[in-house]
Amino acid sequence: MMEHAHYRAAILADPHNTDAELRAHCEACAECCAFTKQLLKFESRLERALRVDIPPRAEVLPFERKRGNAAAPRRWMAIAASVLLGAAIVAGVWLTLPQSSLAAAVVAHMAGEPEAWRRTDIAVPQPELEAVLKDSKLRLKSDAGTVSYASSCTFRGHRVPHLVVQTASGPVTVMVLVHESVRQVTRFDDQGYRGTIVPVPGHGSIAVLMRDPGIDAAELERIAARVDDSIVWTR
Amino acid sequence: MNDEAGGKQRRARFQALCQSLRPDLLRFAFWLSRDRALAEDVVQESMLRAWKAQDSLLDEAAAKPWLLTIIRREYARTFERKRFSTVDVDELIAKEEPLLAAAEEQDMSDVRVALMKLPDEYREPLVLQVLMGYSTAEIARELELSGPAVLTRLCRARRQLREACGEDTSQDPQE
Repeated sequence: MMEHAHYRAAILADPHNTDAELRAHCEACAECCAFTKQLLKFESRLERALRVDIPPRAEVLPFERKRGNAAAPRRWMAIAASVLLGAAIVAGVWLTLPQSSLAAAVVAHMAGEPEAWRRTDIAVPQPELEAVLKDSKLRLKSDAGTVSYASSCTFRGHRVPHLVVQTASGPVTVMVLVHESVRQVTRFDDQGYRGTIVPVPGHGSIAVLMRDPGIDAAELERIAARVDDSIVWTR
Repeated sequence: MNDEAGGKQRRARFQALCQSLRPDLLRFAFWLSRDRALAEDVVQESMLRAWKAQDSLLDEAAAKPWLLTIIRREYARTFERKRFSTVDVDELIAKEEPLLAAAEEQDMSDVRVALMKLPDEYREPLVLQVLMGYSTAEIARELELSGPAVLTRLCRARRQLREACGEDTSQDPQE
């Protein structure tokens, strides 16, 4: 049997380590299991603490921001003139661009979180999931399926739950977009992602997407409907 | 005409990518520098560099680590340019108090203050792992460390944080 110290050192380095030997030790040792639970509780606090609030300026890229805050003049003075000129040129180009669609923003968000797509049967700890859902004033029914990934992401200026639910068809990403109202179902197929954004009257919309190019739109909409059914709005 | 449309599409995609990643990049830069204004400058500079070098990004799925590397280098450059001698952590904490205290729960502020006080060599791998979802191997590659060295730093980081937050560490392994 693995030594307790070895197990605890490994789990301190990565509390979400899913190594089979570590799991077996945890199941066989009540003390190490309690140690892990305590650590996971702290980990949940740590994850939330790291997600400091970001000013809601999602439509403004950093190099397009307006001058005028207290710290800006001093800092801009320090930046070389060539960089300023470059910023002006690039900002000029960017400001003429049309706003990206909601679907494009959802797909782009996926590119930043590749680790979410693992096929696994390990569920996110319940306190962690609840913390992610709390901001959007919702919870999931117990029959929602295994939620293997849950992150409170800033998306277009708002915090939204980004979940991965393991289904019979594979991992499905769900983003609950309470601040994004859509009038009708929007289907998209972009960069290997197939998805749908469905309106949720009174609660914005839900984006559901998969990386399976073989999945058809009707199946995705059935999955979206099941996800919608499993949500309990708490406001 | 097609080239123009393609260029616009590429720019729109890059814009969407930057917008979606911006919050996490700003958070990463903030925990790197522990200074929000400096973090915004570093991210802004990094976005410009990324825009100019976007042809070197062959796979959009790799955009996040690509941008993080640019941010780390930009931060190092800023540090060199400004020739900071020492960092007064208490001063940084006082300056960023509104941000640190913005948490809904008091215990979150405690963790944030403890994170501010954590040495750079422990804070950075921890932020890469917890906030950015990096594996041990990816952290090792980014920070040019061995895998065991990363694990040791992560272990010490959590131990120090938990101690600073008044958690019971009596069951932790002895080094």
